[in-house]
Amino acid sequence: MKKFRYAVISSMLAVSVSLTACSSGESGEEALPSEPSSSDDNTSADSTENEDEGADDTVNTGDVETSVEATGDEDVVLEFWIHQTGEDETNVYIERIDDFNEAHEDIHVEAEVIIDDGASAYSDSINAALVAGNLPDVMAVDGPYVASFADAGVIQPIDEFVDEETKEQYVDSIIEQGTYQNELYSLGAMEASVMLYYNKDILEEEGIEPASSLEDAWTWDELMNNANQLTTDDRYGLNLFMDYDVGEWLTFMGAPLIWSNGGELISEDGTVVDGHLNSSENIESFEYIASLFEDGVVSESPGQTQFEEGKAALALGGPWIAVSAEDAEMNWGMMPYPYVGEKVSPSGSMAYAVTSITDHPQEAAELMKWMTNEESSIAVAEATGMPPAQASAFEKMEKFNEKPWSIMKEQVTETAKARPSTPAYPVLTDAFAQIFHAAALGEDVEKVAEQQVSRVERELRKFD
Amino acid sequence: MEKESVKTKTSYFPKPYAVKGGRSMPKKKKRLFRKSSFREAVTGYFFLLPALILLGVFLLYPMASAFYYSFTDFYILTPDEKSFIGLENFTFIFQDAEFRQAFWNTVYFTIIVVPVQLAVALGLALLINQKLKFRIFFRTAFFSPVVMSLVVVSILWTFMYNPNEGLINEFLGMVGIPSQPFLTSPDQAMNSIIVMSVWQGAGFQMMIFLAGLQNIPNHLYEAADIDGANRWHKFWNITLPGLRNVALFIFITITIAAFKLLVQPMIMTQGGPLGSTKSLVYHIYETGFNYRDVGYASAMAVIFTVIVLIITIVQRILIREERG
Repeated sequence: MKKFRYAVISSMLAVSVSLTACSSGESGEEALPSEPSSSDDNTSADSTENEDEGADDTVNTGDVETSVEATGDEDVVLEFWIHQTGEDETNVYIERIDDFNEAHEDIHVEAEVIIDDGASAYSDSINAALVAGNLPDVMAVDGPYVASFADAGVIQPIDEFVDEETKEQYVDSIIEQGTYQNELYSLGAMEASVMLYYNKDILEEEGIEPASSLEDAWTWDELMNNANQLTTDDRYGLNLFMDYDVGEWLTFMGAPLIWSNGGELISEDGTVVDGHLNSSENIESFEYIASLFEDGVVSESPGQTQFEEGKAALALGGPWIAVSAEDAEMNWGMMPYPYVGEKVSPSGSMAYAVTSITDHPQEAAELMKWMTNEESSIAVAEATGMPPAQASAFEKMEKFNEKPWSIMKEQVTETAKARPSTPAYPVLTDAFAQIFHAAALGEDVEKVAEQQVSRVERELRKFD
Repeated sequence: MEKESVKTKTSYFPKPYAVKGGRSMPKKKKRLFRKSSFREAVTGYFFLLPALILLGVFLLYPMASAFYYSFTDFYILTPDEKSFIGLENFTFIFQDAEFRQAFWNTVYFTIIVVPVQLAVALGLALLINQKLKFRIFFRTAFFSPVVMSLVVVSILWTFMYNPNEGLINEFLGMVGIPSQPFLTSPDQAMNSIIVMSVWQGAGFQMMIFLAGLQNIPNHLYEAADIDGANRWHKFWNITLPGLRNVALFIFITITIAAFKLLVQPMIMTQGGPLGSTKSLVYHIYETGFNYRDVGYASAMAVIFTVIVLIITIVQRILIREERG
């Protein structure tokens, strides 16, 4: 009965859902006291608020406060999902969670580490738990996906647990990323940015002067001219890391090329794409991208270490490129993101959010604040090489007060812009990436943009 | 003369892979059944139970729910709010440009892969059926891709296809051919996946062909020798007809497997560039998981089922006619 084999795949939706549900059900049993009943979040919020009013005053600044007194008789157990992309990073999270447990006698956090392969492994787990009703109390979510979770009521607003003073400690882009329809839903574990890295030796050889501060950032024309000049037979001028999936990376790295030219991915309120994603400004931007590839300045498949090997003189890469360039013992530097109109740079990374099914939103928010406070921000930033989510962490970390890292700090605190906040983000980001990729391949950008617009329009209709 | 010889030959076969396998068995079975008491029957069904439960839970239930979801607007983030929307999902399939593209990509893949893989598998089987030196080594070498995980193989080939430092392009460079954008050009990506898929899959069919080859009675060849047949005559009149049932089995399984293309585009190209390698199953996966539209994904899965079903039925009818 081979013909029934198709079912294994076609029914993957349901099967894997039930499989994962089983495994997370087991861990749910360990966390018996907090077994989330899917009760209305309003009522549960009320009941816990009374119990823990006192605790709120002592820890809401997010400082490492060990003088918190137990306020309730019963222990609150929080289930907490964190993503794993690297071991050092996970170790920091675990350490911070241990510290939290020690500092809070009345709250106990049980962390579950879930592999994040950069594709869909982590979000598959969330989807599965969601359908099975097994979500944790607090979970890590990717920044730009906050809106869709918020819109669906999967996560809940945390404004009442986060006061203005605490909010101001974060860099603006973190709050922007976490806000959907004027309500705050998430706090970022770390920030991210994209810098224009350069190979010092090659630039010196060619007599090209790198930009040394945000003020004298390169314009698009300068980038184009210099990258062209830096391109030789056995070297590309610029690396855009086209080997990463055609997906989030292209939106993350490429969106400022739209924004800087006065364009947008979607209307301000996140409901209309026609006239925005396919605007004439955007087509201009995509044509600029296309010309980079057309001239052979950028490779469509650069390989993993093109920049580190000196086979590309410039690279628009994430903070991790600084780490790998350092490891490769090359002579590297970084410049701000090039601009044409407004100076804008990418931002956003993993963030934490409180699910709607938790019985303890206040404690959950407490945990979030702890995981993103200054001390945690610094620890995560050190382990990952990513910029911290809290503004004060930048001041405390020596590295960010020296060149070239100070440029990254300037960028994160001054020009960072969050990706659009819309429930249709999963489709929107793919649409953007498809147009970007079409530009790279020299296809008719306008035509592809129209196709993608109608695709996103259909998706948006679901959220009317 | 020829036809007769075919018939006599087929009767020699134990028919392990015959499409209508077990035709000769039922008589015995019936007798057995009549003898068995009710109690024995119950015991028999009891032994069947674990398998039936597993099939029910992991096959029938998911299939039934997919069928049900296909009539709803099931959005994965709001599982409790799904509502019945009739045939809306199905009507959209016919307007969905991506579905159309994925469908034709899959058809293209199947049409190329099936004959090529069949031929390669047969060729390899003939090769290692001869009394060569290192015969065992070749068998292992040709078969080893089959036991490797398709994910691993896909990743390895992605490296090999890399235009800048990939193994294949390095070789091409040695003979003066410029570097090829195997996976980054919309014109080449699907063909690159086809080559890799044939390499990975052919070893399995090779083993089945090999079993078929060794089941052809030697005296037929001896008789042909006496009649003065040359190699080509023997291949055409003895080997090929002798492999007929085996080939049919392989033909059907490759077709179905080819239609289920998923891992290669997922790992190697993410359906790109410009959707040129997006297969039907990958499109269903993306819609359901990445874009969370389980309702629409289920509707496509149902249509996919129907397509595969039709292909299988058509194949069976054709085969039956040829046999009769």
